[in-house]
Amino acid sequence: MTMDERPPHLIFDKENKATRDPAWIFRTYAGHSSARASNELYRANLSKGQTGLSIAFDLPTQCGYDSDDSIARPEVGKVGVPINSLDDFHVLFDEIPIEKMNTSMTINGTAMWMLSLYVALARERGIDTTLLSGTTQNDLIKEYLARGTYIFPPEASLRIIAEMYEFCIDSMPSWNASNICSYHLQEAAATPAQELSFALVNAIGLLDLLKERGRFNDEDFERAVGRISFFVNAGIRFVEEMCKMRAFSELWEEITRDRYQVKNRKFRLFRYGVQVNSLGLTESQPENNAWRILIEALGVTLSRSARCRALQLPAWNEALSLPRPWDQQWSLRLQQILAYETDLLEYPDLFDGSLVIQSKVEDLKRQARREIEVILGMGGVKAAIESGYMKSALVRSMSARMKAINTGEQLVVGMNKWTEGIPSPLLSGADGGIFKVDPQATRGALGSLERTRKNRDPYRAKRALDALQEAARSGANMMEPSIECALARVTTGEWARALRQVFGEYRPATGVDGQKLGLENDRVDLLRGRIDALVQRLGHRPRLVVGKPGLDGHSNGAEVIAVSARHVGFDVIYSGIRLSPDEIVLSAVEENADVIGASVLSGSHLELADQIMAGLRSHGAEQRVQVVFGGIIPPTDFAQLYAAGVKAVFTPSDFGLVEIMEAIVGLIERAPA
Amino acid sequence: MTGPGPPDAELVARALEQDRFAVAQLVSLFEDRRPTAMERRARVLEAAEVHPRRHSATVFGITGTPGCGKSTLLSRVVPDLLAFREELTVAILAVDPSSTISGGALLGDRTRMKLEHDEPRLFFRSQASDTQLGGLSPSTFRVCRLLSRLFDCVFVETVGVGQSEDDVRSVADKTFLVLQPHGGDEVQFLKAGIMETPDAFVLNKCDDPSTERGYHQLRSSLWLARPFDADEVPIFKTSAKTGVGVAELVASLAAHLAAEPSRRPERRDALFLERWVREEWGRAGSRFLEVLGGAEHHVRVSGGVERAQVQFELRFREG
Repeated sequence: MTMDERPPHLIFDKENKATRDPAWIFRTYAGHSSARASNELYRANLSKGQTGLSIAFDLPTQCGYDSDDSIARPEVGKVGVPINSLDDFHVLFDEIPIEKMNTSMTINGTAMWMLSLYVALARERGIDTTLLSGTTQNDLIKEYLARGTYIFPPEASLRIIAEMYEFCIDSMPSWNASNICSYHLQEAAATPAQELSFALVNAIGLLDLLKERGRFNDEDFERAVGRISFFVNAGIRFVEEMCKMRAFSELWEEITRDRYQVKNRKFRLFRYGVQVNSLGLTESQPENNAWRILIEALGVTLSRSARCRALQLPAWNEALSLPRPWDQQWSLRLQQILAYETDLLEYPDLFDGSLVIQSKVEDLKRQARREIEVILGMGGVKAAIESGYMKSALVRSMSARMKAINTGEQLVVGMNKWTEGIPSPLLSGADGGIFKVDPQATRGALGSLERTRKNRDPYRAKRALDALQEAARSGANMMEPSIECALARVTTGEWARALRQVFGEYRPATGVDGQKLGLENDRVDLLRGRIDALVQRLGHRPRLVVGKPGLDGHSNGAEVIAVSARHVGFDVIYSGIRLSPDEIVLSAVEENADVIGASVLSGSHLELADQIMAGLRSHGAEQRVQVVFGGIIPPTDFAQLYAAGVKAVFTPSDFGLVEIMEAIVGLIERAPA
Repeated sequence: MTGPGPPDAELVARALEQDRFAVAQLVSLFEDRRPTAMERRARVLEAAEVHPRRHSATVFGITGTPGCGKSTLLSRVVPDLLAFREELTVAILAVDPSSTISGGALLGDRTRMKLEHDEPRLFFRSQASDTQLGGLSPSTFRVCRLLSRLFDCVFVETVGVGQSEDDVRSVADKTFLVLQPHGGDEVQFLKAGIMETPDAFVLNKCDDPSTERGYHQLRSSLWLARPFDADEVPIFKTSAKTGVGVAELVASLAAHLAAEPSRRPERRDALFLERWVREEWGRAGSRFLEVLGGAEHHVRVSGGVERAQVQFELRFREG
């Protein structure tokens, strides 16, 4: 068949035979409790037809603390697997052939450390590192903006990313040293144009940096451009999302060709993986989320020219708790049906030539280009982070979204419309349809950490850490010293502490300014009246300490609460993220606060509640200060929280900010004077 | 004694032992705007006066425009100061502006004051400025009076713009104005007359060599603003980021602490009363205060500021 005779609805292989595209990589974001438990989960998932690994690390590992650190304890094994040393990696990848695996690690602040552990694992197994393929997420820009698991200040973080690219280019040519993430921007309510432009200026910032460092010749630089990959979100407006992906591909082609003169077409390809949207998943009528996930998956698979390379789907009950193995399996089955049962992979791009799609794509590109120019004009992504420009843009988008949902302008089925329904039988099982980490399971992490410290050669570990600090100070590449640390059984906390001592630690702006909450209504006036009455009665304006205990960095919820509380007339003490329970208690004690509002999304609410209550008792302030919790907290835990002394619990279904404020004011009104 | 909770004398005793919840509750009493609180306050101060552990603190005022790095600088200075003398106790009162619409405030300075370990000798309290834009609220004066009797060293940190500069002087023994090297603030301050009052200047964020120019600009504007100063006003060049100049500033603060307090608490009380009289009763009031023997005398014979206020109001109305 000649080219002209090919029917346009078929795909052809190199031998000119009609064929079908291979499926994208199926992943499930997973990991919990301990290296052993996670290894069992991975092997089970692979045997069910999952084709790549996506490692979820727990927060102490992400923030660079050992499992036995006091700030780490309540979080160990909660949202992912705890990794303290190379010994844990040996267990985590037990019986998994890493040379044949595509492994994605959601790791940022400690990305260089996890990559070093992976390389060390390969060396101890006698595997050629050039065979390793996968990704370390390693996008610190979005950590500063939205996710919060950064450790070092921007300059040091960017240097670490650059050094990983420089290491990988020859030693691990199939490894993505970082992933430009727009995923978390959409979770923070970014609009499609913001997602496009912020992600692309982020990539530009990285490539400019690599160029400026001058470690690459032209050919290597071109290859480095080819290694830039993206991690994208897909929301419920799935036609627009598909257009966004096409816009991404086209803009990336433009940027790599015009700004960086990349000649090889292969290195200009927009490569991306997807996790579909979690922000829009609802706690009420959670079974509806199954449909949302399916529709969102279509947005990133329908268009062949903008199809994802790898896809991971959340589970229907993610707004309630971490998913159980069955919930993850159900999401994996969706991918398998879409790829193997349907005819989706048999066709060329379905939308080429569509005027509607083309016009929509052009419109998104126009908006994105304008925003890119604005940010480059102010000095690029680093300047836009440091000035708070991007953060406040996102905070405004989040406020607009919440306002639209509050007023019903944006319809969410089962949440602000058609809220009556038959209770879901999916939630009526013995476990209430949610996953519980076995508190015993994390003990294993502490035991293995102790063994590692006892069995290693302390002098080799010390020398390795000294060499790491020396490289950090001198500006030499830190990868090899880090790999030696891994081989010497240095622990995650030790590695991070050594570099904290050199680079310092980043404390961000809180981003609470400039929020518009759409709360100007009669109920706010009523609340202000009640607070004025309290001022008269108590002799002081009610004081609220908003705290984000623990290591989870999703600060937007806490910030919205802080701003709302000031808006109705509280004096609010907000001290940012990553505080120990003791620090929050001390704030409340010294400030003589009426209420502590703690926001927790990591699943550690029970432990944190106990720690906060114990702290208040140690100061004799447990009668004075009332404690409320907010976050992702399953209803089955409410009773235990109340028993611990917590007065109220707010979950994402309590989306009405005014209702939350009314409840807190009510608590103060009812407190004994 | 009103309401539940421990009796005031016990609170005072505990507060003098640096029980931070006791201090916090007393601070709230000194912020309390209800008339009933006045009597309790007088008794708390009396209890503190007779207590064997009675302090006489040095009060430092730290002012500067938003973003000049006051809090970050304090977070560098205070740990060093605490290390300087083993038994030294420090209180920080950080004042932030309130929203004029809701009356509420967002108080966030604690973030930067994060210390490596829990330090029981340090007490940190945020305060909303209430309706006084950016300046000090009446309760700032009252709380300062309390803290200066419980701690060795008190820092009052505030957005010092306009008149509040003067306010800070009336609560503090020494005031430091924090500036940025290229802030251009000098000119504004010069116009507003603010350069005339501080006891020392801190040129913060001196991270790069170009700050020399800022230093010389400040020196020459000071020469313009204060031609009659006997001694050169100290200018400290610091960087909270790199730690440059912090040691010099700490040494200067420590020297102030070691010296006899330049203003006894009685003198501060008198200044507070003078200011209150002027605001409430104008020039006529000020003249009447002289008739009563002056502020310091009137506070002494009345038995404290609170009682002096009541007495004054009574006698002034009588004629």
